Amino acid sequence: MVLQGIITGIIIGGVLSLPVMGVALIYGVTGILNYSIATIGTFGVFVTWMLWSSVGMLPSILAGLLTSFILGFGIQHFLLNPLVNRKGNDLTLFFIITFGIATVFSGLTKIIFPRPTISIDLQKIGTLFIGNVALDVSKLIAILIALFVLFSMRVLEKTTKTGKSWVATSQNLKMAKLVGINVGFVFSLVSGIGYTLGFIGALFWGVLYNLTVITGWDLCFLGYIIAIVGGIGNIWGGMVSALIMGIVISFAGYWLGGMWQSVVLYAILLIILILAPKGILGSERSV
Amino acid sequence: MSSLILEVENLTVTYGSFKALKGVSMQIKEGEIVALVGPNGAGKSTLLETIAGIKSPSSGGLKLSGKVITHTNPLKRRKLGIMLIPQEGNLFPGMSVRDNLQLGAFLAGAHTLPDLQNLVYSAFPKLRDRIAQLAGTMSGGEQRMLAIGMGILANPKILMIDELSLGLAPKVVGNILSILRDIRDKIGITIVLAEQSIKVLNVADEVYGLEAGEIIFSERAQNLSHDLIKNLYLGV
Repeated sequence: MVLQGIITGIIIGGVLSLPVMGVALIYGVTGILNYSIATIGTFGVFVTWMLWSSVGMLPSILAGLLTSFILGFGIQHFLLNPLVNRKGNDLTLFFIITFGIATVFSGLTKIIFPRPTISIDLQKIGTLFIGNVALDVSKLIAILIALFVLFSMRVLEKTTKTGKSWVATSQNLKMAKLVGINVGFVFSLVSGIGYTLGFIGALFWGVLYNLTVITGWDLCFLGYIIAIVGGIGNIWGGMVSALIMGIVISFAGYWLGGMWQSVVLYAILLIILILAPKGILGSERSV
Repeated sequence: MSSLILEVENLTVTYGSFKALKGVSMQIKEGEIVALVGPNGAGKSTLLETIAGIKSPSSGGLKLSGKVITHTNPLKRRKLGIMLIPQEGNLFPGMSVRDNLQLGAFLAGAHTLPDLQNLVYSAFPKLRDRIAQLAGTMSGGEQRMLAIGMGILANPKILMIDELSLGLAPKVVGNILSILRDIRDKIGITIVLAEQSIKVLNVADEVYGLEAGEIIFSERAQNLSHDLIKNLYLGV
């Protein structure tokens, strides 16, 4: 049972790490705590679900990915960037604005997609046995994608001009502008990627559980707790924290029952905020 | 007679009700080294940041090679050839010296890079030795050299450096200033130095005195009187 709990926890953690990485990436580069990542990701999953029966799995997932990326890029470019230029980096202001965007999109999801509860059924790839625990391989895809994203972002940051420009922007915004980096474009690109990660997280949440309009909010709350525990803006911290919290959720469910899961999570959040306010691996953004 | 590269016309910049610059005018000739001198809070940094486009003026204008750039954004100004190295926070501390230099050259054409790179390495050989080191772990003097290296690799028409001497030993300041003059002689770049160190007078062609947001004098460096220098630096 312990093994089963750990495996379930890692699967949940892998899914949760995706929106958390989105939050961390956007915060690290733009300094905005974006609250709308998972709700727009959920909107994207509803787009995928709507197209699935007519165009098939891969094209519909691609459509959801594109929808999330374009919405993320567009929201940053047309709404948030002009505000950053005018108002500077006001955490509370952007929290309220992105909360508003989240509300708008969860309302739109309700209006556009009449079916309240959906689930995503990926084709069975195979079954893996760990000890005596049977595991559907498709459930491991989320964590593999999370690891792949983590790895490829590091490679991009080390080897490409675009990757370096977003690291530079996150380290020193003023100097990034002065050397001629188009920081507005960097912000929008990173937001697009962050929202796309939110979509992939919500998609795999829909593989594990049922997906409703509310799921976006659940993922937002969970994502925030995990991001803060890991050290907000710290992508590695987010990943580690997601896996730990996934295991905590899994065991809290087994031992205490589902209703205690969020109590345990908030208790951990409080303890971390008291003992290590910058999270277990420290916050990365200092500018 | 060299042509004008930058014209500052009656520039006023305010922070709330405080006027940081009160109608400042300057004319900067191409290929010259211009020193902006004056006490802390005189408005030197504000002036440079307004020229770079980081701050907006409430009135007045800016022209680069005769073209009005008063409301041009910082990115376009960088493309037009203006580069500012600010007083503090002028590096990407968590990135290597190599990455910092490459970012300095973010918009510079690839064809100019090898020449400028050789120029920077021969001026500051330490940068080549420390190419893989993280910028934030170098000493103050080395960091300043790196920032200047980034500025040169940006291949600008005008390189503005705010308080190059801050926190550096006078000897190091003297060295860096003479290196800058050599670089100017080689590539004909225009350099604007906002500076408190008196050593800047050794390399400048033109000197502007700034106090409480106003230009109080402008003079060719060789014509500066001893009285004026005393006034500036000793407050006599």
